[in-house]
Amino acid sequence: MKNILKQLKFIPVLLLLVVGCEDLDLAPENAFTDATYWTSVDKAQMVLNTAYSQMSRSSWFFYNEGLSDNAYNGRGDNEGAASIAAGIYNPSLGRIKDEWNSRYSGIKTCNVLLENIGRVPGDAVIIKRIIAEARFLRAYQHFQLTTWFGDVPLLSKDPSLAEAKTISRSSHADVINFVLSELDAAMADLPKNSEYGAADKGRITSGAALALKARVLLYEGRWADVVTATEQLMAGTYGTYSLFASYEGLFLPQNEYSNEDILSLQYVPQYRMWPEMFDMAPLSAGARLNALAPTQELVDSYIMTNGKKIGEDGSGFNEADPYVNRDPRLTATVVYHLHPWKNEDGTVRPIYIKPGSSVGSNIDEYVPGSSSTSTGYYLRKYFDPQHLTSLQSGLNLMLIRYADVLLMNAEAKNELNQMDATVWGQTIGALRTRAGFTDPGAVTFDTSLSQTGLREVIRNERRTELAMEGMRIFDIRRWKTAEDVLNGWAHGAQYGVQSIDNGYLRVNLRAFDPGKHYLWPIPRDERLINTNLSQNPGW
Amino acid sequence: MKTKTTLKILLSSGLNLITLSNSKLSKPGLICLLMLFLSFGNSFANTNYFQEPIVVTGTIADIKGGSLPGVSILEKGTSNSAQTDLDGNFTIKVASSQSVLVFSYIGMRTVEKSVSNGTNIKVTLEDDATNLEEVVVIGYGTQKKTKVIGAIDQVTSNAFKGRANVNATQALQGKAPSLTIQQTNSEPGAGLNINIRGIGTLGNNSPLIVIDGIVGGDINSLNPSDIESVSVLKDAGSAAIYGSRASNGVVLITTKKGSKSSPMTVQYNTLVGFNNPKFFTAPVHGYENAMLRNEAAYNSGQSTAVFTADQIRQFKENGDTEWFAKEIVKPAMQQNHNLTVSGGNENSTYLVSLGYVNQASNFVGPDKGMERYNYRINLTNEYGKFKLTSTIAYAKQKITDHSSNTSTLMVDAYRVPLYYRQKDENGNYLTNDILQQFNSLGILEQGGYRKYDNDDIFGALNAEFKLTDYLKVKGVFGGRLYANSVYTRVKEVNFTPGGIYGADRDTNDESRKSLDLNTQFMVEFNKVFAEKHTVGALVGYSNENHQDRGTGIFKKYTDPDLGIPGTDTVLGPNSYNSNQSSSRNSLNSVFGRATYDFKDTYFAEFSFRYDGSSKFRKEIRWGFFPSATLGYGITNESFMSDYKDKVGNIKLKASYGVLGNQNVGNYQFQTTYNTFPNAYGFGNTGVSGAGFNFANPDLQWEKASTLNLALEADFFKGALGITFDYFDKVTRDILLPPQVPGVYGTGLPDFNAGKVGNRGWEISATYRHSGKLFNHSLTMTLGDTKNKVLNYNNGDQRLTTLEEMQVLLREGLPFNSYVGLKRDGYFQSWEEIQGAAVPAGTTVQPGDNRYVDLNKDGKIDDKDKFIFGNPFPRYTFGATYNIEYKGFDMSVFIQGVGKRTMMIRGELVEPFHYNYGMTMYTHQLDYWTPQNPDARYPRLANNGTASNNNNFRNGSDMYLFNGAYARLKNIQIGYSLPDNVLKDMGIKGFRMYVSGQNLVTLSKVGFVDPELSEFNNSMSPTGANSGRSYPTQVYYGLGLDVTF
Repeated sequence: MKNILKQLKFIPVLLLLVVGCEDLDLAPENAFTDATYWTSVDKAQMVLNTAYSQMSRSSWFFYNEGLSDNAYNGRGDNEGAASIAAGIYNPSLGRIKDEWNSRYSGIKTCNVLLENIGRVPGDAVIIKRIIAEARFLRAYQHFQLTTWFGDVPLLSKDPSLAEAKTISRSSHADVINFVLSELDAAMADLPKNSEYGAADKGRITSGAALALKARVLLYEGRWADVVTATEQLMAGTYGTYSLFASYEGLFLPQNEYSNEDILSLQYVPQYRMWPEMFDMAPLSAGARLNALAPTQELVDSYIMTNGKKIGEDGSGFNEADPYVNRDPRLTATVVYHLHPWKNEDGTVRPIYIKPGSSVGSNIDEYVPGSSSTSTGYYLRKYFDPQHLTSLQSGLNLMLIRYADVLLMNAEAKNELNQMDATVWGQTIGALRTRAGFTDPGAVTFDTSLSQTGLREVIRNERRTELAMEGMRIFDIRRWKTAEDVLNGWAHGAQYGVQSIDNGYLRVNLRAFDPGKHYLWPIPRDERLINTNLSQNPGW
Repeated sequence: MKTKTTLKILLSSGLNLITLSNSKLSKPGLICLLMLFLSFGNSFANTNYFQEPIVVTGTIADIKGGSLPGVSILEKGTSNSAQTDLDGNFTIKVASSQSVLVFSYIGMRTVEKSVSNGTNIKVTLEDDATNLEEVVVIGYGTQKKTKVIGAIDQVTSNAFKGRANVNATQALQGKAPSLTIQQTNSEPGAGLNINIRGIGTLGNNSPLIVIDGIVGGDINSLNPSDIESVSVLKDAGSAAIYGSRASNGVVLITTKKGSKSSPMTVQYNTLVGFNNPKFFTAPVHGYENAMLRNEAAYNSGQSTAVFTADQIRQFKENGDTEWFAKEIVKPAMQQNHNLTVSGGNENSTYLVSLGYVNQASNFVGPDKGMERYNYRINLTNEYGKFKLTSTIAYAKQKITDHSSNTSTLMVDAYRVPLYYRQKDENGNYLTNDILQQFNSLGILEQGGYRKYDNDDIFGALNAEFKLTDYLKVKGVFGGRLYANSVYTRVKEVNFTPGGIYGADRDTNDESRKSLDLNTQFMVEFNKVFAEKHTVGALVGYSNENHQDRGTGIFKKYTDPDLGIPGTDTVLGPNSYNSNQSSSRNSLNSVFGRATYDFKDTYFAEFSFRYDGSSKFRKEIRWGFFPSATLGYGITNESFMSDYKDKVGNIKLKASYGVLGNQNVGNYQFQTTYNTFPNAYGFGNTGVSGAGFNFANPDLQWEKASTLNLALEADFFKGALGITFDYFDKVTRDILLPPQVPGVYGTGLPDFNAGKVGNRGWEISATYRHSGKLFNHSLTMTLGDTKNKVLNYNNGDQRLTTLEEMQVLLREGLPFNSYVGLKRDGYFQSWEEIQGAAVPAGTTVQPGDNRYVDLNKDGKIDDKDKFIFGNPFPRYTFGATYNIEYKGFDMSVFIQGVGKRTMMIRGELVEPFHYNYGMTMYTHQLDYWTPQNPDARYPRLANNGTASNNNNFRNGSDMYLFNGAYARLKNIQIGYSLPDNVLKDMGIKGFRMYVSGQNLVTLSKVGFVDPELSEFNNSMSPTGANSGRSYPTQVYYGLGLDVTF
């Protein structure tokens, strides 16, 4: 027994040896903590970069066209384009929730940055710029939210979880006021495009802030303010902007960062690319299938080279040979039957879409229910000849370009009944000349047109100039014409039975209820969590 | 002399273990063990004195009096041995009248007899199975079965015999009540879901796995034939000693050891067979499909037919092409080999085993599949009061896989109607209207591979010193070092007429090295006072820690042949260094148990654990987890002795305790910022971004209060044994992320925010009969659990979208109940449609789904959604029947689920799913037509039409199926050579058998494998079940067991 007791005294010693050893205070090796993060301008800059990346996404950029009468999403329901365009959706739709959540994530990134930037030591000039960029991005997100949803929660600071669960919607007017005042504030602290070095191309400029302000005012119908803002841009007060010489060339990689690009979503070959062209280009150009195709309605909106609409007397339009003598921007945007496709090596070949027309491979041909185009058209604009595998591209996608400024100016001037030959020459005329029109009937101002007639011309110009760039849906919503263009059949090329719609393919039956569809519903999940969130009318 | 040699082995195995770790911890662990050695190691002595040899004779029989030939007789402490002859007689010369003889026979309890009682010995050997002294493995120790009062199921090695299992989890399926194992994928190397007693929490539901006393081993890297027993600890009484990680139950695995004083036995087992891929459905004929497509187009108002009459006639004349899905699979061989050498002398035992499994993949193309090599040494050494158990196990697993994604390959192959071909006579891989980009055959045959190479080294050293016959100290040191790597080559395949796979020519390497270390120290006390008070106590301390690091290299545009870099090769920006992918955690604990019983009649047990975890903030890091158990062996009362003699034993048991769960990510209590490359770009150059993970500084463990009531009874002298358990568990402070509104802008880490009740019962019954002609036994298990959410963050609810349906987390409902519209038949006529409630904006036609307008507001929307059943399997059952007749034996194992709501979607439900799938399947032909008004599915209509939207985009109970099934999991028929033949051949045992797996499945869902699940073992949806999985395997094999 004594022996045992002698041994027993070792036990606590051994126990101690084992006990004292493993530290329970462990810190991660691959992440910073709140205490170690906000220590340099570089690190603040990285949070800002995240906020930039949350501004928009390529799938929205392209599939938003499928929400409008410009295009049809015939495979899957990409970004909700199929169900929203057809008017068959509800507050549970993934796209609606996703847009809401992503935009508020972007706002959070900006708010976290703005609330912590004061802790960061370093160059005051750069810090001031970072703050201005973050305020612009936060305003941009609020603007997008209020455009889709109307009244939305306004977050000028980062909310606590409890606040986020009880916050109610601020009125659309309040959100717009916030956006405008933030843009004014940001504009004062942002450099002009000419002041940035090559490594900073793509950053927000004072010109971008002003252009976004013009867009906000345009959507609000504040025509005089639109004129002021766009004229400041046209005067070069906020940077050097002009139309790029070639419409086709504007969307090619060698012409990135041209003076027409006011704000673009940045992509980098190999490192940050967008993949949508894989499902939009002709299959013979390397696409795997067609999920988004331009509609006949879009193709029909391109005027003749003589400036007349296709249905107009004397237009010279020939239904049997519909793609000749058309606005040159059609070829730069849409791939139609016998479109002269420019290969990556610069050679040109025709694309065969009409059933049974092919010489050689027939994979681009329209076959009902197949993987090829559902409308008889493919997309050309933004096709990147320097694409990587699977048509991935590092081309920047322009969110605001100078052509838009001119169109905004023209529209506002006309609404103020101030359209004249000078304004026309600076805006629509300039755009048409750049597009390659030479016929005076297209380029010169038609004094015979009334304000209403001009409105139609300007709106149509806006549609064709900016086609497949994600703008159309916002325009038909603000013009309140969605109910006219989004009800009934969307059509494809004339490959169908003659007795139905004159042979133009019926591709998608659409429904738009003006009593409810002008605003998206507040997501169902969101209202389950926060009962203070009201719903839009009709939902 | 002998002592020294063995010590050397011990030390070298000890050192092996030590070199595994560089941690601060290992040194004291070693010192602790070495001190134990040094202080006690040299106090042994062997006494041996010479005497005249004595001749001993005798007979050996079984309980029924049948003679037992081939029983081995060993003089204890020597290598002197003999065997019984055909009549069970033996003769052996022994050294002295003090000698002890050890009688052992496979499957029977070993008996020791001293020669001092006479030189003619009669021995009766009993079946091992009816062993009353059976020992059950419990947390940090063992307990005699008669004294167990916790809810523990023990599965013995017999469960694994002769089954073509590639891993131990598979082998456990259906073997213990309420141990639910779901095989969601049959692919070689795929994981399985394990749940003990259902779903008790809303977060991680994985049970704690303990192998040979060491926490953190991988059950799937074990060789199933090395397993001696598996204990499943289900209640708080048995599991509380594992404290903060025990609330999902604990699985204790003990590996086989050699037997003391037995000559060397060599066992070789092999099982070789084929896995045949089975599909549960098939596409309709090609021409039939073309007609169905036309019907859908017509129903959708289209004016042109998709296929002309000529084309359809042509399809019919040409006949069907082979279904792509069948063309990419083939029967594949599976081999299991095991060689075990074991034995022991008076002081030590050894077991060395080698295992090899090769399960070839069913996919065509270059060889794919899983290979595993297992090597194990288990040694026990006793020197007087000192006992050392050392284990080293090594497992190497190699998996060769294709370079793509199995569900993509399967779904692509599934979707193509039978008028396309996958490969032409010139060997070109063909693309078509449905698979424009590539086909699965080309990828499998030429698209490269992914090779996994995993090394797993497990070691444990367990030193035990008996201070007195009632007090011992134990030190355990062990751990697991595992290194996983995966090497990928994606090779370019060109398709005709278009499509390229693998144009990036990726060559990737990822590797990860992890180390789990356990150090335990305990003191154990066991003593019987006055022959009726049995008292036991255990107190211990342990540290468990884990660390891992990994690296990844991703290169693009590498050399097409060798995969080495060339001029245009780029290093992928997602490559990472080891500091980018590392984690650590650690747990310090004090634990203990006290047991008491009075004459095997009144039992009481108390256990606890006090845990401190690195996953929580310093101030709130420590938690206490106690449990208490009472037992009453009522039939041991004198007033019940009559009943006991006539009927059998009855024991009543009750336990209550609090268990924890700390399965959450590391470092969640501190806000962290991560940076990542190429978040955005400026000037066409990528720039890094940063993200943040918000902290919850108040994070702590979940606490589960568990009540368990059990009844154990046997009848007919133990021939029939029944146990019944009822449990009620309430888990609070459940770790899960709170429901965060989108406006908040970011997700949040886990909070202690939920409360779930989980109630259930389980019954298991075993009947054994040993007759003159044949022996047979039947074991049945049945269990049910039902969970209910009691609180989620004070009234929150969480709706998770699962494709067309949703699952809901809400107070008062089973966890993740399905939410969707309820079908009310079909609109049968235009009159019915007039004024009927339909989803907003939708125009329907006769033959479209009609939904119940729950709130009667005249339209169908989210407010009309019903809550449907419980997706977790209920009434899980297993039945094993064994019969032996002369040399023949047969065993049948059936396993299944009595109730489960199963969601299936995708092309298997929706014809021409989203225009992605372009064939219908035979089971879908039951669709609505005016002539078939009561069909299972609505009328055909094209994607994008209002009808298609109404029927298929609105998640409804149309997508829910009855997941109940019963499956003949295994059947074996064997023949063992009789002993006289064996003796002539000079071997101890020889059995040949045929084995079959998954031969018959009874299921209400005929068109997919009913074992497929859309959930992982924590019931989180892992993606909806579209049946796009690797085919189920039907196995036939031939096996051989030889013992030398």
